[in-house]
Amino acid sequence: MQQPTVSNEPSTTIEKIVDFLDARVGLKEIQAKMLNEPIPGGSRWAYVFGSILLFIFGMQALTGILLMFYYVPTADHAYASTQYIIHDVDYGWFLLGYHFWGSSAMVVCVIAHMSQVFLWGAYKPPRELLWLVGLALFGIVIGFGFTGYLLPWDQRAYWATTVGVEMVDKVPLFGDFLARFLKGGPTPGQMTLSRFFVIHVMILPAALMALAGLHLFLFRVAAPAGPFQGTPEEIKAKTDYFFPRQIWKDMVGMAAVFLTICGLAFWEPVVLLEEATPDPGEYHPEPEWYFLFYFQLLRLKMFAGEFGQFMGAVALPVLFMALLVALPFFDKDPERNIFKRPVALISWIFIMAVIAIFTVSSVINREFLD
Amino acid sequence: MANERDSMSPTMIGLGVLWPTCWTGLPIKLAFAVLAFALGWLELEGRIGLAFLMLLGSPFTIFGVPLIAVGLEGHFGEGIGLPLLFLLAIPIDIWAFGIVARTYFLERFRKEPPEGLGFKLWWKSAVVGAFFLPALWFVVSLVTEVAVSTSHSLSQMESLRLVFNTGLPIAERIGLEVTIWGTVSFMVLAVLLTVGISWIGRIIRDIANVAPPLSDNYQALITRWDLMRVPSDQAMFMTAITGTGVVLALLFWAVLPVTTPHPHECCAQEQVKAEPPFKPIDVLSQNEEEIAKLEALVLAVEQSKEPGKTATENGKGKGGGKVKSQKTEGSPAVTE
Repeated sequence: MQQPTVSNEPSTTIEKIVDFLDARVGLKEIQAKMLNEPIPGGSRWAYVFGSILLFIFGMQALTGILLMFYYVPTADHAYASTQYIIHDVDYGWFLLGYHFWGSSAMVVCVIAHMSQVFLWGAYKPPRELLWLVGLALFGIVIGFGFTGYLLPWDQRAYWATTVGVEMVDKVPLFGDFLARFLKGGPTPGQMTLSRFFVIHVMILPAALMALAGLHLFLFRVAAPAGPFQGTPEEIKAKTDYFFPRQIWKDMVGMAAVFLTICGLAFWEPVVLLEEATPDPGEYHPEPEWYFLFYFQLLRLKMFAGEFGQFMGAVALPVLFMALLVALPFFDKDPERNIFKRPVALISWIFIMAVIAIFTVSSVINREFLD
Repeated sequence: MANERDSMSPTMIGLGVLWPTCWTGLPIKLAFAVLAFALGWLELEGRIGLAFLMLLGSPFTIFGVPLIAVGLEGHFGEGIGLPLLFLLAIPIDIWAFGIVARTYFLERFRKEPPEGLGFKLWWKSAVVGAFFLPALWFVVSLVTEVAVSTSHSLSQMESLRLVFNTGLPIAERIGLEVTIWGTVSFMVLAVLLTVGISWIGRIIRDIANVAPPLSDNYQALITRWDLMRVPSDQAMFMTAITGTGVVLALLFWAVLPVTTPHPHECCAQEQVKAEPPFKPIDVLSQNEEEIAKLEALVLAVEQSKEPGKTATENGKGKGGGKVKSQKTEGSPAVTE
């Protein structure tokens, strides 16, 4: 009896294209490397934040480009062009709302991702470099929020930037230079707007893409840390590849975040205040909500005066970031289970409680000022 | 290992099932919530966080939310979208409860999950929520109210003037007050939530106690619950998911308002009345009709003035009458 012959020749056009590319760039090898990453203990919802952050960045880039078709980065036209986007451009209000809430989502997801890495003990050797690059990425995300806040050029934008630049001014040695560089003059004006715009749409995206690439490379080199508890038998039994289960979880996470941002854009669309002027009038300067806790912290009496302001605006955040940078180097205990690391657990709860308490306090303080 | 399973607390069991159940159904519920927003069926004002939590916890809050809204005047939002959303959440939550609880039975209890587990857990959890959530709402609201007023009085105590010359500064006072009432409210909320979750845990444990045990080894169990989550016809599943996504996306873009549904005072657009379309043929025929009418009118006027004209000619002479008649024809040059 004649056996049917199995041909390896590509039959469809797509297969032919894939074979053509594979022969030239090693497509199948790249695909295997990307998707067949083993995840100790199997896929988890806790691991989705990294992918979600990449997704949010992609969406921010897309909506940002669409907004740039209409936005004019000049002191004369920034406010009017933003109003034009909100009121006249088709779906402009939704795009701007998505971009605005997307930046908040990015900050929330960065903090969630950092918390997960911290609580899972995934910053410990051999993943120190991964942690450090992650911290740099956190700084870039905060930079995006700070520089993007000025662009609508309304009172809120103008005064939040003024306060922010004044804080930069208090940094010893190069603070004065940095503040003058950012402002480009004695008061925020055209030069400030131009510089913030360039930093927001050119420098920070480029830095983020480069560091995100490095972060992914280091992640692949060090391999996923896996769960912090469970017997080796359990972890081995559950170990799985990145594709398809983790990818599926990532996609569901992305969809949930996308829908949440859309919901927020509907719930609270961007509404501008009066156009920026050097006179605050009745307006009480206030930063974006994720900086509110810090803004309220600086209102404490202990941070009043020249020395107090330096301590609050410079020393405290620098010390906090230095602690985070040094964390994998002084925490050499291989134990990763968060329930067996009481100092780490209490520190995390304390920081989250401070953020929550001072954010709520800031909202109450706002009502008090009004 | 068996001892560890038997000694699992009801709170751990309740949390182990409820937490993933709430999150499993959320993305689907969110898709409907966004559609309701786009259709203008949902207004949440300042309580989006609370509404989100209620939607997230809908396996537990489904009957409790209307009771709070009616009985305790708890306001979550406006619009037909809110009750519709909670109605749609029912089948989603039953499905989510089923998939999570079956996994939990296999992995943690090592017991055969009974038939209809999702529905059984959903209605029991919803009934518990109907009693428990309004009680929790009432107690936490009351405690928070008392704690806020007490902390406010505490921060204004005279003895604090000894520490600060002019009393406690504003920012410190607010921070202290929030810390006091926030801690008290959070503790009460945490304790009550633990009681509620433990209640659900007991229900799950009672069902597990009568379920038959499994003799498979751990690897076989993992494979079973893992495969349980993977649809048998993956191509059909992906097609259905993609199709639903495309339909929802098209529906979303169809109902999404083109211009902002929240116009700003500064930028109110002028209400321009649309002019009727210009139809040259109609206009020409109208003009012709008008001219014909006017012509007839002039003719009628001239004819009616015929006897008078003769009288004028006789009385005033020829010149005056000629000038008047020429003016009517619209030729001012003649008069000069």
